[in-house]
Amino acid sequence: MSHPLTRRGFLGLTGGAGVAALLAMAGCGDDSAASSDTVRILVPGTVPPGWEAVSRKVNEKLKADTGLSLDVQFINWQNYQQQALLKFTSGETFDTALQALWLNMAQLQQDGALADLTAEVDKHQNLRATLDDRLIKANRWDGRLWGIPQVNSAGRCQHFAVRQDLADKLGFGEITDYDTLERFFYAVKQRGGGTIPYGHNSASGYLGVVPYPAGMFNVQSWQDPHTIARAFTGRGMFFVFAKDAAQTRASRPVPFWDDPGVLDAMRRVRRYYLDGIINKDATNADVDTVKSQWAAGKYAATWAMTDGTTSNVMPALTKAVPGAMVADIIPYGKGLNAKPNQTFQADNLVVVNANGGNVGNAMRLQDWVSVKENHDLLEYGIEGTDWKPVGEDRFEALTQYSSFPGYAVSWRASLERKASYMTESEERVFSWAQDYDNFTVDPFASFVPDNKPVEQQIAAMTTVITQYANPLYYGVVDVDPQLDKLKKAAAAAGVDKLLAEMEKQADAYLAKNA
Amino acid sequence: MPSQLPTSPAAPPARAARRRTVEPFTVVSYLTVTLFALFCLVPLWMIVAGSFTDESVLSLRGYSLLPDPFSVDAYAQLFSGRAIGRAYLATLFITGVGTVLSVACTAGLAWVIARRLRPVSRPLTVFTYLPMLFSGGLVPIYLLVTQVLHLRDSWFAVILPHLMMPFLVFITVAFFQQIPTEIMESAHVDGAGELRIFFRIVLPLAKPILAVIALFYAVTYWNEWFMAILFISDPDKYPLQLLLQNLIANVTNATVLPGGSAPVVPVYQLRLALTVVTIGPIILAYPFAQRYFVKGLTLGATKG
Amino acid sequence: MSAPPPRRPPGGRLGRWALLLLAAPGVCYFAVFAYLPMAGLVVAFKDFNIREGIFGSPWNGLANFRYFFETGDAPRIVFNTLFLNGLFLAATLAWGLLLALMLNEIRLHLFKRVAQSVVFFPYFVSPIVISVMLQVLLAGVGGEGGALNDALSVLHLPEVSWYTEPGAWPWILTVVKVWQLGGYLSVIFLAAITAISPDVYEAGVIDGASRARMAFSITVPLLRPTAAVLLVLGIGRIFYGDFATIYAIVGDNGVLFSTTDVIDTYVFRALRSLGDFGTTAAVGLFQGLVGLVFVTAALIIQRRYARESSLL
Repeated sequence: MSHPLTRRGFLGLTGGAGVAALLAMAGCGDDSAASSDTVRILVPGTVPPGWEAVSRKVNEKLKADTGLSLDVQFINWQNYQQQALLKFTSGETFDTALQALWLNMAQLQQDGALADLTAEVDKHQNLRATLDDRLIKANRWDGRLWGIPQVNSAGRCQHFAVRQDLADKLGFGEITDYDTLERFFYAVKQRGGGTIPYGHNSASGYLGVVPYPAGMFNVQSWQDPHTIARAFTGRGMFFVFAKDAAQTRASRPVPFWDDPGVLDAMRRVRRYYLDGIINKDATNADVDTVKSQWAAGKYAATWAMTDGTTSNVMPALTKAVPGAMVADIIPYGKGLNAKPNQTFQADNLVVVNANGGNVGNAMRLQDWVSVKENHDLLEYGIEGTDWKPVGEDRFEALTQYSSFPGYAVSWRASLERKASYMTESEERVFSWAQDYDNFTVDPFASFVPDNKPVEQQIAAMTTVITQYANPLYYGVVDVDPQLDKLKKAAAAAGVDKLLAEMEKQADAYLAKNA
Repeated sequence: MPSQLPTSPAAPPARAARRRTVEPFTVVSYLTVTLFALFCLVPLWMIVAGSFTDESVLSLRGYSLLPDPFSVDAYAQLFSGRAIGRAYLATLFITGVGTVLSVACTAGLAWVIARRLRPVSRPLTVFTYLPMLFSGGLVPIYLLVTQVLHLRDSWFAVILPHLMMPFLVFITVAFFQQIPTEIMESAHVDGAGELRIFFRIVLPLAKPILAVIALFYAVTYWNEWFMAILFISDPDKYPLQLLLQNLIANVTNATVLPGGSAPVVPVYQLRLALTVVTIGPIILAYPFAQRYFVKGLTLGATKG
Repeated sequence: MSAPPPRRPPGGRLGRWALLLLAAPGVCYFAVFAYLPMAGLVVAFKDFNIREGIFGSPWNGLANFRYFFETGDAPRIVFNTLFLNGLFLAATLAWGLLLALMLNEIRLHLFKRVAQSVVFFPYFVSPIVISVMLQVLLAGVGGEGGALNDALSVLHLPEVSWYTEPGAWPWILTVVKVWQLGGYLSVIFLAAITAISPDVYEAGVIDGASRARMAFSITVPLLRPTAAVLLVLGIGRIFYGDFATIYAIVGDNGVLFSTTDVIDTYVFRALRSLGDFGTTAAVGLFQGLVGLVFVTAALIIQRRYARESSLL
């Protein structure tokens, strides 16, 4: 290419490319019309290794059983929210998608984009058998069901994953209450040889202080986990309802900073920050980074959820720190008899597209994956190749097919298998979380606030919260001066209007569902 | 041109005294460029070294100057997909075809703007500029590509949205406007037509800028994954960046699912390795583009 | 030297048509892929409904625009956007130009090539990797120390908790941008330098001008058209923040917002959970219109003072 670019060369190149373009366009042709027995589903995540083989088997069996075939479209998590919305908006043909309140489910429902599934569940026996009554009831909004809940446990309670080997070494043994946990944190700080007591990340700082029903550093909420903070949208302005709302029929919400437990938690976090109990870079440390540091032994404790994934860290952790052990610690004042409040609102639901989705086919697929054999095939892959059963209800992953996003299609609390290496401690907590009787139904269980009347205030408050409350969630600033700033900014953003609207809607809900 | 100023000590004796003095600006240039290059090189080295360092050590220290303990876990993960070859092909197609089309369209439009034709060039400037300021957003592009052009699962769905960047059009215009008019005037005297002037005189003279915009377009296509996510759903047609992103996502996804743990989850390391895999080919291709940066007007002008 | 080419193309009508043929692909492209989708901007004036889509949703006048202007934050956000982008633009352009001049001084071929490749590379580092490296540099892992603080303590200076120090961030981000874009811009300037005929340096050589003098009084003026174009293009985008980099680095760290929050990041945070295309489009439209005003002003100034290097 050292000779000057000639006209012929230039034309040749562009012409060639142009012809290639035309050919490719012609070859790609029209989207073939969806045949009526194909179920098209949108799931977040990525194509798992070994998907082709599993997909072939799933389709063979599904075809034989129901006459349907399955077309799964994987959309990377980072872009899932935006793209799912895009597909709903552009009138694309697909049957189901994963949605939830923390995605855009409320908006989709309000805009009439979701099919009503209220009458559908009872028509499908396999599906019906795997969904608890309380689960279905809680996930009805105003009496109507807009999505099939996908859960692997009844209650979702955040708690602490703690390095038990360190606790043993420092003479703590089994930790069951918050005071001991705090003493453990300080012991690690003093005698832990550089280990940071608690690894916090930048994703959801509010979980550290607001009752959800317990906030990680909110001691009062651990003693009395009977209210759940609510916001109009995920990271927005949280309000705390009165604990006796069910009896008094009055929600009486207060801004989170007026709740004594939250206030105490914010002061505690500030102290932790100054004393080096939590990592000082938490405001900017992303989840994956903290997770990787946790697996490398940098922290003595971190955030955990009753979803059976705490033990996932074990293989990597024991490789980095031989002899390491992790325990799941839920420091409720009354231990596992605390009966914390739960809304049973599923974090993941399968919704049917009202604009071109086939409700019958979608439900038949949901029914089909509710059969243990089918469930295991789709979620864990081919037995013997991708996984093998261990004991009664455990499995060992043999390939990385286990990254299949089961929570978007096939999670059923009663069918899920536990990881073969799940620790005893986690098994206890996880089993506890799978029983609906261990929880109190929150008085606002299926309350879904309507954003429309206060959209402007929601948007304004969301930025106020990130700017002024987030530093409080992580303790990086002094509590009192920052609280003043927060309250001032909140007043300007219309927090009063938001509060009034929340109270109005919550009271209306209580009146209706008493 | 500075190349006329010989700097070697073996230069002809005439005015030797002047040449032997080392000019302060040259010294400053060497120093500054060296310092800035180091400022760029150290992070690059940290990325490369980090991508070969064991995750457990890396995540404790956050960086690594020596890959110790040495680990290729991240690369093993990245290259575990058997589809990687196909993904390279897809990316080569997108980068190759895309760059050629882009450079051709950009050069043509830029030249017409640079010619300052009275009723045409100014409106064209505005016409080309406005898309830098206003965009209809994602939804219309999505509808256009999927429902009007029917390009779903076609690599052209990835190429077309990036085909022309106004920024690069104007960079090219600025260069074209620097070409001395005498050269073209002499061509006119020879009776050459507009197209002939463009192809035979302008393009050869413009090689440095064509190399620059080709490089910038190629880099865009090479790194492209967003349009691919939108429009390519067939895993067999994934371009490289999308495939790599997916591999990383798979590894991180596995950690949030029960029982889905790999023995090592090199998140830190993977990010760095992804950077290396992305930059690698560009750094390899860069010297080829560079050849054109140093050859310029003089070479072509003598031929024109 | 760089006088405009003749205004009238020779060869009459036919020649002109032939020229237009060259522009046709580009014109068609922008018409289809830029102007056609702009119809989507109508959503800025609509109460967006997912089911109805962009064109079916009901009109709601200027309600979407109200949101941004009614927040008390608007002045601060607008100031940050202009200040940060102005700073980035000036710093990256100046450094890109200077770097190109200095690279041009370098005679050792291998060194020059390696240096060019190395300074170009930061452009490819993804924002998230930049963010992680910056944290190691400024805060260390787990927020303890960091390379910069280690250096400070060697010099017996007090350590700084950078991630709670908003005043430092405009400058930190500027350094990041210069690092990221300096090499990229120098490549453009280097290409322009190659277009300079060696003849113009002859007079300087005969006069015995120093190399610095030749660089700054001969090369720099000849690079003015390129610099002017880059500047004008940058000014048009001055209302758009650099979302990817700023968001990756600052994230949701509210302590730093007072100096780092720009329109793009502000709107993203406010609307991420609402999924409201209407307001997003309204803010985008507003950013574009302001950009248009700025660019027009810049062009008018430019035409007054430096006609030959004008974009239009």
